Amino acid sequence: MSNAIETKHLHRTMGKDFEIRDLSLSVPSGSIYGFLGPNGSGKTTTVRLLLGLLRPGGGSIAVLGRPIPSDVPRVLARTGYVPERPQLYGMLTVAEAMRYHAAFYSTWEERRAEDLTARFGLRPGLRISRLSKGETGKLMMLLSLAQSPDLLVLDEPTDGLDPVVRREVLSALLDYVSQRDATIFISSHLVHELERICDWVGVMDAGRLVAEMPMQTFKNGIKRLRVADAPSLVSDTPFVLLARETGDGLAGGEVWVVRGWQDPMKQYFEGVGARLREVVDLDLEEGFVELLRTFRKPGA
Amino acid sequence: MFRQILYTQWRWSGTGIVAVSIAAFVLPILTVQEAGVTDPTWLDARQLLPAIEYWSWVYPVLALGTGLLAATTAWTHDHRGHHVYALSLPLPRWQYVLLRYSAGLVLLVVPVVLLWLGAMLAATMTVIPPGLHAYPHALALRFALAVLLAYSLLFAISSATTRTAGYVITVVVVLFVLQLLFRLAGSTTDLVSPLFDRLMTLPGPFQIFGGRWMLIDV
Repeated sequence: MSNAIETKHLHRTMGKDFEIRDLSLSVPSGSIYGFLGPNGSGKTTTVRLLLGLLRPGGGSIAVLGRPIPSDVPRVLARTGYVPERPQLYGMLTVAEAMRYHAAFYSTWEERRAEDLTARFGLRPGLRISRLSKGETGKLMMLLSLAQSPDLLVLDEPTDGLDPVVRREVLSALLDYVSQRDATIFISSHLVHELERICDWVGVMDAGRLVAEMPMQTFKNGIKRLRVADAPSLVSDTPFVLLARETGDGLAGGEVWVVRGWQDPMKQYFEGVGARLREVVDLDLEEGFVELLRTFRKPGA
Repeated sequence: MFRQILYTQWRWSGTGIVAVSIAAFVLPILTVQEAGVTDPTWLDARQLLPAIEYWSWVYPVLALGTGLLAATTAWTHDHRGHHVYALSLPLPRWQYVLLRYSAGLVLLVVPVVLLWLGAMLAATMTVIPPGLHAYPHALALRFALAVLLAYSLLFAISSATTRTAGYVITVVVVLFVLQLLFRLAGSTTDLVSPLFDRLMTLPGPFQIFGGRWMLIDV
């Protein structure tokens, strides 16, 4: 499977306190890739690097098979971008903004634009400066989809939108993907939202990539285990032990949070004289929190 | 693509361009009317020339203002959005800058042409004393060059980051403050005048703004 986005050892310093460090991302073509991370983790900076809006300090970037930043215009011609804060020209009306945007894209589909205008209930004559936050979000999504991109890069596209608008926007996005074999790179801190739509996930924290894997692996692989008679020293585990705490209401028991869990690994506990009492599935948000908590531990 | 960029710039600066265009059209007419040269009894060149010259300072100021208007409005909206939208469009940065610059130039044709028309109209309205001549084409050309220079320079400054524009302004302000301090200290050191002369007289780059902007001259 080829990658729509690939970065290798990407580096970029932002001011005195923050840097993107050794970032190697692989976004498979045709995937919906959720780029997760808390606020300030470097998601927006990464997105801007991917689109050539910022120049990297080191490393390499390839988007749709072309190098960035040297081939930015060709890549942008095939990429729809919804920025974190919409930056459209406020004096233009919705219709004018669509005409302006269309002029730059030979792949613009007027029919799709009209359909989405109706579907989103946007009034063509209304000035952008008078649109609500939800309407602006819809307009940004409309512009991105109507240009028929092969890659959609969405930076917190639904942040601050009400649930109804959020659902409309995501629904339009999924419809588009179902019609075309496009890749979607969606950055967000709204974990539940990504859980429903993404098939790949990458997790950022403090400018570093903490994990990258298929969503199913991420969801299935992180478990909370209730362990009795746990050994004081743990080594050579077949899984990655993310966290270990004394469990509530378990006399002598502990709660372990592990990654890379598979059922046959139960045998490990027999080998070390412990008893595995329960395996609890974590949802993506819990897994995400545990992953970050482990990553932030000193020495991680 | 160019049409859309031109349209956005028209939306941003249209009102201002219309205002300076009207001013550019009216100015030459106002000059001769104020000088009274539409009155056929006025045939004295010694009185006429100072009256025409009285208005001559307005032309370079109008040219500067027109350039400033077109240059700043070309970038204000992109600056406001930190250029994110502009940079995400699929064309090289130099091409985008060129398109914005060209669109501004097209808009500036309007005040230049109107000043030319106004100057020609004013010239035909005027009873010119013997020995004097009307120069509507030269005046319009001079106005066009001054507008072009002002626009190009200010476009370059305003296209840069706020920090760069800040540096330029800081240098100018520091220069004037130093001059003021020298004067307060009783020093005869003059920083501004020689620099001003260098810039405003040949071969200075702003020479076009100096000199005589005369619709009617010898």
